[in-house]
This record gives sequence, structure tokens and C-alpha cells, in this order.
Amino acid sequence: MGVYAITGASSGIGAKTKELLLQNGHKVINIDLKDGDICVNLASPEGREEAINKLHEMHPEGLDGMICNAGVSGACGNLPLIVSLNYFGTVAVAVGVYDLLEKKHGSCVVTVSNTISQGAGRKDIVDLLNNIGDEKRVLSLVSSMDSTNLSVGNSLYVSTKYALARWVRRISSSWAANGVRINAVAPGNVHTAMTATMSTSAKMALNALPIPTKYGQECLMDPTEIAEVMVFLASDAARGVNGNIMFVDGGTDALLNSEKVY
Amino acid sequence: MKPIEKYVETMENKDFAGLAELFTKNGILSDYCSNSASQREYHIYGKEAINMFFRNKFGFRQYSIMEAEVVNDTQAEFIANFGGYNIMAIATVREVDENGLIERLTVRPK
Repeated sequence: MGVYAITGASSGIGAKTKELLLQNGHKVINIDLKDGDICVNLASPEGREEAINKLHEMHPEGLDGMICNAGVSGACGNLPLIVSLNYFGTVAVAVGVYDLLEKKHGSCVVTVSNTISQGAGRKDIVDLLNNIGDEKRVLSLVSSMDSTNLSVGNSLYVSTKYALARWVRRISSSWAANGVRINAVAPGNVHTAMTATMSTSAKMALNALPIPTKYGQECLMDPTEIAEVMVFLASDAARGVNGNIMFVDGGTDALLNSEKVY
Repeated sequence: MKPIEKYVETMENKDFAGLAELFTKNGILSDYCSNSASQREYHIYGKEAINMFFRNKFGFRQYSIMEAEVVNDTQAEFIANFGGYNIMAIATVREVDENGLIERLTVRPK
């Protein structure tokens, strides 16, 4: 039996992942804004610190896995939240529990998005996130953007997820050299509480991103399809997998980017 | 109507489903037009993939054609617009089956 911590497991992909881990006999600690074992706001530095401290108090012997899943969509209408939760919240928690993962040669899995390959992100913001990493400055930049414009929100969302994926790639070698694997899952359009509350225009945009395995069904992917891959990546069965951005999108990325084999 | 004329019609109308139906089950559409996107070529295998691919491209207004002109039995010229990047292109129906369905169509810069 292992000990796994997961962010954003009160609903959606996170909840399914938690369920599968529990079925496999593991202990799971859910870190979420509501209904979590640790209830904190990971969009704030104080919330992240509290979560990291509590995990250290609860399991000083170490963690077998850290699954960083919490995030909001580009349609949430809150641009600072997209930046603070999706990118800074994820990186801070992963780094904050690295010592716990190291103790047990655990693994980290990060949720990104298959939209990272579709060209909607802003490279300048991605570079600011990865190369500067100054949350206050990025938030200052974001404050001048139009939060009512769906494409702005989407572009920022993609930028945070792209930066996350790149951060996973960059950090993966040194972490693995110290016994900690880190990978990312890039889901396609998944039916979650997040997508259920999307506007009509956002849903139309979703349907223009076809999912080959769901051809003709006009439906989104099931959270279980993503959760099963997350559990696999966190498990010892994936001990040879590190620094991988695994697309779990029913083939959308392959459809739109068939020539990109790497 | 000839297959190339139907192709132009469906492209102009952004009719992704109609476009896919012009192809055989395993029909191939290869677009060699260099564009501003990170992917320089598209090779789309199968009518369902053609349907989904163009649903995406038309839906996000990343692809359209303008000033189309059928120049012979198998070819048409047009200005292809890839997300704001225009290029003069020529489409060629390379192979059709006995039912007139397209087995292979290429789009190249003119």
C-alpha cells in the first residue's frame, strides 16, 4: 500500500484518480478548495505552503506519489486564477513535496492539456512563467487583459499548461537521477464539472476538437479514461517512463498534428 | 459534377462532412502547402479523419479557400488561407475509384 497525495480530487479527473488509487489499496490525501482532506486554496502562496506543511506533518516518512491535478479552464473568467492555480500552484506543490517523494522514490504526475499542441498559447507568457517565474509580475501583466474575451482566457490557459509541460520536461532528468519520476498527462476534452458549466460558445469550440475514438458520438471523454493513465504513470509499472507528456485525448493530437512524431 | 468541382464546392462552403463523403473509405488528402503553423504539411488518411480534421480547421477559421477556379478535369487553383496566411495553391485529384470517389488528392503551392 502506498501513500498518494492528489490536488483537485473532489471532482472530475482527480476524483476518479483518487477512486482508482483507493481501489488499488492505497491511501489517498485529497488537497482541494472544498471537500478535501486538506482544504486550502492552491492559487495563493499561503494555501500552497499550508498544504505542503500538512503533508510533511502527516507523512514525514515520504510519499509514493504526488498527483498535481487541480486547475481551472480558460473559460472560468478569472485570468489571475488561471495563472496562479494552473501553473504556480502546481509547480509549488510538486517542488514542495519533492523531498517526500525522494524518500520513497516516488513519482509525480501533472495534468496538462492536449491544447498545448494546438498553437493557441502565447510564447511570451510561457517564457515568463518558465524562465522568470515571478508570479506577481505575470499577474500584473494579466491584469491588463480582457477577461471577458473567451479566446484570451483560452490562450492564457494553454500558456499555463504549455509552461507546465515544459517545466516537467526540464525538471525530469535531475529528479529521475535522484529516484523521482515526473510525467504529465495531456487530456483531451473531458466531461467534468469544469466542462459542464461552459458557455454554449465554449461547448461549440469543444465540438470542433474532434475525438477520433468518439467519432460520431458528439461526446467528451470520460474522466476514467484519463484517471487510468494517471494511475499507471504514478505506479511502478511505469518505472521506465520519465519526462513524458502523454496525450490521452482519443487521438485528437494525432489527428491535428500527424507529422509531429516527437 | 466532377470530383474536383465537388471538392471546390465543399471547401468553399466549409462543408466538412460533404468533403469527407467525396473520398473513399481510405482516401488520402495530402496538403503540401507551407503555412505559418508549426506543421508544414498535412497528410490525412481516411474519410472520417478528413471529416474531423476539416471540422476543426473550418470551426476555428484556420482554413478557407478563395478565388477558386477549376482549370481542367482534375485540377483547381485557389488562394488557400491558413489562419490569415495566404498562398496560391493547386489541388489535384490524383486517383478516383470506379464510383468516382477520391482515393488521393494533393494540394501543393502553385
